[in-house]
Amino acid sequence: MSIRLLSENMINQIAAGEVVERPASVVKELVENSIDAGARRIDIAMEDGGRVLIAVTDDGCGMDADDLALAIERHATSKLPDDDLQHIGTLGFRGEALPSIGSVARLTVTSRTAVGDSAWSITVDGGDKGAVHPAAHPRGTRVEVRDLFYATPARLKFMKAPQTERNHAADVVRRLAMAHPEIAFSFSDGARSLIKLAPAQGDFLSAQLDRLDAIMGNEFGDNALAIDAERESIRLSGHIGLPTLNRGNAALQFLFVNGRPVRDKLLQGAVRAAYRDFLAHDRHPLLALFLDMPPELVDVNTHPAKTEVRFRDPGLVRGLIVSALKHALAEAGHRASTTVSNMALGALRPRSESGPSGTVLPLRPGGGAFGGRTAPPSSLAEAAAEYLAPLDQAHVSGTFGGAAMAPSAPAPAIDEAPALEEYPLGVARAQLHETYIVAQTANGIVIVDQHAAHERLVYEAMKKAMTEGGVKRQVLLIPEVVELGEAGAEAVTDRAGELEALGLVVEPFGTGAVMVRETPALLGETDVVGLVRDLADDLAEYDSALGLETKLADVCSTIACHGSIRAGRRLNGQEMNALLRQMEATPHSGQCNHGRPTYVELKLGDIERLFGRR
Amino acid sequence: MKITIDRGLLLKALTHVQSVVERRNTIPILSNVRFDAPNGQLSLNATDMDIDIVETVEADVASAGSTTVPAHTMFDIVRKLPEGAQIELDASGDDGHLTLTSGRSRFSLTCLPPEDFPVMASGELPHSFSVAAEDLRSMVDRTRFAISTEETRYYLNGIYLHESERDGVAVLRAVATDGHRLASVELPLPEGASGMPGVIVPRKTVLELRKLIDEIDGDVSVALSDTKIRFTFDGAVVTSKLIDGTFPDYDRVIPTGNDKSMEVGCKVFAEAVDRVSAISSEKSRAVKLNISKGNLVLSANSPENDSATEEVPVEYDAGDMEIGFNSRYLLDITQQIHGDSARFSMADAASPTLVQDTGDTSALYVLMPMRV
Repeated sequence: MSIRLLSENMINQIAAGEVVERPASVVKELVENSIDAGARRIDIAMEDGGRVLIAVTDDGCGMDADDLALAIERHATSKLPDDDLQHIGTLGFRGEALPSIGSVARLTVTSRTAVGDSAWSITVDGGDKGAVHPAAHPRGTRVEVRDLFYATPARLKFMKAPQTERNHAADVVRRLAMAHPEIAFSFSDGARSLIKLAPAQGDFLSAQLDRLDAIMGNEFGDNALAIDAERESIRLSGHIGLPTLNRGNAALQFLFVNGRPVRDKLLQGAVRAAYRDFLAHDRHPLLALFLDMPPELVDVNTHPAKTEVRFRDPGLVRGLIVSALKHALAEAGHRASTTVSNMALGALRPRSESGPSGTVLPLRPGGGAFGGRTAPPSSLAEAAAEYLAPLDQAHVSGTFGGAAMAPSAPAPAIDEAPALEEYPLGVARAQLHETYIVAQTANGIVIVDQHAAHERLVYEAMKKAMTEGGVKRQVLLIPEVVELGEAGAEAVTDRAGELEALGLVVEPFGTGAVMVRETPALLGETDVVGLVRDLADDLAEYDSALGLETKLADVCSTIACHGSIRAGRRLNGQEMNALLRQMEATPHSGQCNHGRPTYVELKLGDIERLFGRR
Repeated sequence: MKITIDRGLLLKALTHVQSVVERRNTIPILSNVRFDAPNGQLSLNATDMDIDIVETVEADVASAGSTTVPAHTMFDIVRKLPEGAQIELDASGDDGHLTLTSGRSRFSLTCLPPEDFPVMASGELPHSFSVAAEDLRSMVDRTRFAISTEETRYYLNGIYLHESERDGVAVLRAVATDGHRLASVELPLPEGASGMPGVIVPRKTVLELRKLIDEIDGDVSVALSDTKIRFTFDGAVVTSKLIDGTFPDYDRVIPTGNDKSMEVGCKVFAEAVDRVSAISSEKSRAVKLNISKGNLVLSANSPENDSATEEVPVEYDAGDMEIGFNSRYLLDITQQIHGDSARFSMADAASPTLVQDTGDTSALYVLMPMRV
């Protein structure tokens, strides 16, 4: 067979194979065009999962007749004015989207510029270009794609159910909308409107939070910490969720580079590193991060769909993300997410909302079937007295400064009022079931899980001791040689200094192997080969010694677990208050080592709602 | 099979054999002990497929035969029967049960067919010699603490028993190490051991053997090939597989040029280490040794900044030095030294330290320092 040049249409169809993978990619290309055109409002309509129609309408700068005719040609774009791939400021730049779409579907573009006296329209039908003709349209551009993939039946067969395709497209729109809070978005599938976002107001961070709130749910907005950090002309902004707000997968983690949604392993690794201490390994936080950097520091031209990027200095970016996240989490101190108290409220609220009788009946003395379960008042009082006993004793002995707090002594409680407001976690009132501490704050109550809270305090103290005193190292009698392959061995030996600080001393041993001379004494007799192999994998994948840090942290947390007070231990008033004060003073004390909350706060308003007073 | 046996004899044999039987098994018959009653004897056989133990006791055999019954249940029953009781075992019925009768107690246990019981083929054991039980005990005692439990380095999960020589005298040497410390103990080479291959005896075998020879006087005869080892003593035969691996060239890590030598009273030293280490709350209880002429200062710190020091008089002439150790490792070693004083030979704070009983050169210990 002799070699021949492919026809233009063939080339476009092949390009379409990369760019137009499914209806969602059409939506992505068109919406990016609209954003690049400076639109303030973008409306997307879809029918039958995009198989019948995808229409994107914007109020951007529009095109005149000449531009329109060129726009549908391959490698024609207005976005690379200087032929400079180093400084890409727009989302698109390849000049492939419209011709690719036109080669596999029936494409109609209608557009009018601000200065033009009429709109123009052009149609491409499976690669056949029509003529530019006048049309009626307000300022902006409308792109209609009908019968997607009719020209490539093979691809048509790979289309999933309409709902699936629609959800993918909606996902794409949400991601783009997050990065552009100033633009109004709407998305409908013909029958109903799936996304309706008004342009967000206010400064960048608050506008962004409004938009994230609208997309990721109110829960996120209530529990988000703002991030704003800058290092060497790279700016990181965005919002991250508190660790106690977490999910089973990483679907709600978003990274945007110069307004472009990207998926990057670097983000996963950095997020894991930053949240390592607060979440169990199978839980993932919610967050949206926006990186703004000069275009020359990042290469977006690595993939036709542009979902991956390359950073010139990935270490710097990673370092920026990890330190900014850690800093924000440390500042959050003992804050636990409001979801926790909302969950608690949800659990407390009477089940049947149907009628008042349903909730009142069981409370009536001797009321029907519930009568038998109602404890006689005397035993209740006894039980209460037992729980309060330690406090009373403390009060009597006078050592519990103004303690006051015992309910039987209302007068001193008034003196104590300013102290109540001083402490975010309030003053301990009682211990219930020898497990939970109930404290009164200025405007609510706090319930603390004593074991989880103390475990965290012990763990934080151990970590502090470890960073201050250094990790002790056991020298090996027989140094262990670990085969890693050349790349792995190099990665490990490059980080030898950092690893030594973590207690692991390695040195190069020929090509492709390292020799381990000393290991962290904390780990005792350990599987050195496995440890170093995992470490090399971590370094390759996330560019950090996560494995070793995690292992050390694991040992610390086991020791912390055994070294902390357990549930079932009776605490007196002073002990409880001391625990609360320590929690306030210790960073990250709002969650235990596994991301569960250590305390729940109920505001007075919440409690009033429980009783139907609000 | 129908026999009558004294409870004391049966209990002793069962105590020995049941301990190799694993609590949980995927192959049901491995939970069982096999009884064989030829003439005038009962032999009990248990195995975990790596170690096989056979013990033979006197019994009054009414009819010969063999069967297998759950080992732990059997042991439990016999243990709870009164002292001095006579036990009758009867498996002659064809309902697959063994009936145990003693006094007014009666138990019926489900049997599994004895022909299904795995037999460990020992093959030929070309090398054999005998060792005094007392010597074997002391050899095991002084090395077993250093056996590694880390399974990825399986070749360290046992004691390396081999022929060697020192100062021109042939010796039988046992070595164990976990990569942090090493213990080496030797005996004059017994007759017949010359030419034996170096073998690694697994940890479980070592511990079982140690229990079995606890009260034995006289000799233990040892027979081995390069895959199996057999110990025979006092009516019991223990056969074990060996670890198929190469023990590292330990000779190279035993320092020979350590010129800083410290002699210290063993008991005084161990007690001081134990006291000082009480302060360090961490897992890796580190102690620091500051040695100067004639004086040793032991010290330890906790992350909370508590500290402890204790001075111990020593014989030391070299330059001042500071070295850190895991206190548990130090105590493990000093426990094995029964003489009055121990000699520490050191080079520097990062090199192996040699520890020996000043009055007994048959054992030596190597300990790696800790960086504190």
